[in-house]
Amino acid sequence: MQTSIETLTGGLMLGALYALFGLGLSLSLGVMKMINIAHGDLIVLGAYLCSTVMQALGAGPLTSMIVVVPAMFGIGWLLQRLLLNRVVGRGPLSPLLLTFGLSIVLQNVLQEVFTADTRSLQAGDLALHGFDIGGVSLGLLPLVSTLVSVAIFAMTAWLIGHSHWGRQARAVADDPATARLVGVDDRNFFALITGFVLAVIAVAAVLYGIRTPFSPTAGPERLLYSFEAVVLGGLGNVWGTFIGGLLIGVAQLFGAKISSGLGPFFGHLVFLLALLARPQGLFARNER
Amino acid sequence: MLRIDRLDAHYGLFQALFELSMAVAPGETVALIGSNGAGKSTLMKAIVGALSVRHDGVQLDGVAIGGEPERKQLARGIALVPEGRRLFPSLTVRENLLLAARNGRQGPWTVERLLREFPVMEGFQHRPATALSGGQQQLVALSRALVCNPSYLLCDEISLGLSPLAVHEVYNLLGRARGEGLAIVLVEQNVKRALSESNRYYCIQKGRVVLEGQSERADHAKVAQAYFGM
Amino acid sequence: MTAAVSIDAPQPAGPRRKALKLLLLGIGIALLVGLPWFASFSMQRLLVEVFTVFTVALAWNLLAGYGGLVVVGQHMFVGVGAYALFAISNKLGMNPWLALPLGGAAGALFALASALPMFRLSGPHFAVGTWVVAEMMRILALNSEWLGAGGGMPLEALGEFDRWTRNAGVYWAAAAVGIGALLVARAVLRGRLGLALMSVRDAEPAAAACGVSVQRAKLALWVIAATLTSVAGAVAYMNTLQVTPDASFSLNWTAAAIFIAVLGGIGTIEGPILGTLLYFLLRESFAGYGAWYFIGLGSLAIATMVLAPGGAWSLISSRWSIDPFGVRRDMPYP
Repeated sequence: MQTSIETLTGGLMLGALYALFGLGLSLSLGVMKMINIAHGDLIVLGAYLCSTVMQALGAGPLTSMIVVVPAMFGIGWLLQRLLLNRVVGRGPLSPLLLTFGLSIVLQNVLQEVFTADTRSLQAGDLALHGFDIGGVSLGLLPLVSTLVSVAIFAMTAWLIGHSHWGRQARAVADDPATARLVGVDDRNFFALITGFVLAVIAVAAVLYGIRTPFSPTAGPERLLYSFEAVVLGGLGNVWGTFIGGLLIGVAQLFGAKISSGLGPFFGHLVFLLALLARPQGLFARNER
Repeated sequence: MLRIDRLDAHYGLFQALFELSMAVAPGETVALIGSNGAGKSTLMKAIVGALSVRHDGVQLDGVAIGGEPERKQLARGIALVPEGRRLFPSLTVRENLLLAARNGRQGPWTVERLLREFPVMEGFQHRPATALSGGQQQLVALSRALVCNPSYLLCDEISLGLSPLAVHEVYNLLGRARGEGLAIVLVEQNVKRALSESNRYYCIQKGRVVLEGQSERADHAKVAQAYFGM
Repeated sequence: MTAAVSIDAPQPAGPRRKALKLLLLGIGIALLVGLPWFASFSMQRLLVEVFTVFTVALAWNLLAGYGGLVVVGQHMFVGVGAYALFAISNKLGMNPWLALPLGGAAGALFALASALPMFRLSGPHFAVGTWVVAEMMRILALNSEWLGAGGGMPLEALGEFDRWTRNAGVYWAAAAVGIGALLVARAVLRGRLGLALMSVRDAEPAAAACGVSVQRAKLALWVIAATLTSVAGAVAYMNTLQVTPDASFSLNWTAAAIFIAVLGGIGTIEGPILGTLLYFLLRESFAGYGAWYFIGLGSLAIATMVLAPGGAWSLISSRWSIDPFGVRRDMPYP
């Protein structure tokens, strides 16, 4: 029973990280109606960026975030303004194919620059600490990751519900043509969204890189987990993505217990079964 | 003065407007009369920036503004109440207004003022905007455009599908706006109301102006002929 | 005032043009069939790759361009077809060439089964959802001892044939699959299914209102594309003599299909032909540059989507109005 609880808590904490992966995807799908196939590769880019900054500054991964997060925001802004804005609104095919090409480019550029070897972000002592609560051991780092994830979700949910930007985002998601009529500047607004998405990816990437060794080709799997979290949770629902992520994380860890190589497979299976049972996702927003 | 000068407009290969010319002076109300598909909505979209047209096809106080994006036209004081209301379902009534107010110009029309003048709206301000009756939605849609403090308000079929009482309320608000010097372009299928609410009128048929004049002295027979194209 | 549009039916080919077309066709077929007698083994193997990749790309293009079904997981059928062929031939001792249709049938069955969860998704969700299924298949094959796990399986029956027969046989199978796929695609598009699909592509609600069963049309296309892909996959791995999970369920299959469709032109039959030629030309010229080759390919795809989303064929067909396969149904504009 003990280890089952640890698997559960471990799964929830892993899931919180997957949820954070998924948050960005959920936003760009909801507001700009496009899926970024390079999403996972951008996570990996963030991790490599952090690694580079750490080496350049001689700093730890969490401190390096001060540079990495704004840098990724800028990359996201430019990506949207220079490339993606040209294909938004042309239907879902163009952005999907463009980002598919982008994914290939990213993976191979990373491979050229950093070689195909895996590496991880050294967090030093931070990775070793843990707590013992009622006989269940919890690592400090996973706990911190989870809290960061919850905080970012809460902040995003608040922004969407109570800020001007959130209103614009919801309006554009509802009706882009009318949103333009009430003065939404979609070119810059989309760039802002993608910048924000990449900033969130940056945070997730650092937490991920500390926890798991990564390599240039690790992107596609991250995309799949992000995607599963978003679809499970239901489109248009921020906290739904969070729950979706938790479910995938738990499924993966329980699956790994059953057979060590089959963790991700069980995540996929849960996704597929949930899809069969409730295709619109667990917390889909009702279309009026 | 808002001037439309020999404007052509296309949807892909289909031409919707043919060298259409008209003008709206500050403070006056102009009616656009015509059957479905005549090109009235297309004209509105062209003015407000939702359609790509020749730069000098639309002129504001002598400056060419045709084809520029909606937010620029909004900043210049041109706002559209679109056909079918098109409120945002994911936003409450209040949020619909706040969004437009923040993006629009500063002026006498504020969210607070509109809620104050329409206690009914104040009552449902926190409801999702589409969870209202047609008449209530139209009031909100009109308010959403007003709150941008335009000089030229374009209204596309604002009485469509509304009960007579609701129509009365909507035109009441419009009247108040007009009283404060707002110029209005009114697209109305109800010819009688269009003529009674406007100073001048244009009849549009297949993308062209076929008749125009002073609304008071309109010859209803001629207008009917122009409307039905007989 | 615009001039009146003249709606002429495309002129049917005169008897001289028809004879010329048949002659060219005959020469082409003779060359294709006779190839094993004058080409090297490596040339034949390359052509097997060309034909099988072309078939997968054609199938992807049918799905995306005509059915509105963009998939990132088409490689699931490649693996299913290949594994089905190998398993049936190995375990039942069947001649692999005779077992090829069964590989296709396996793909068709898998298409029906996967449609159940997948057709509940749409748009980009559907695209990535198929990728999830493909990943699951890869992991299953990887962990299945019966299928040889990570190392995969060899095609045992091939050992009974001499090298020349084996190479020629696989080459002929590949050519047949490639030409067959083209014929199937043309037949589909010129038939009722094609008409239904194009009406759905142009205006889905209107098509549904006219009585087109949108779901059935899409399902039919899904099964057809799956069958083509599975047979291609089966032949492709006959060529390599070994099937492994990482190779046969690799995203690279779909990636190649996507590049070919994007470069050549989505939603046309000519596009995949042109795209395949371009793809292999690029590959044979630049693959030696490793990662830079892929960076170039990816950048080319990005540039194409931004600048010429209709692909290379759209650039050609917009200059000269040609329709070699006779599937276009639009009115000529003045």
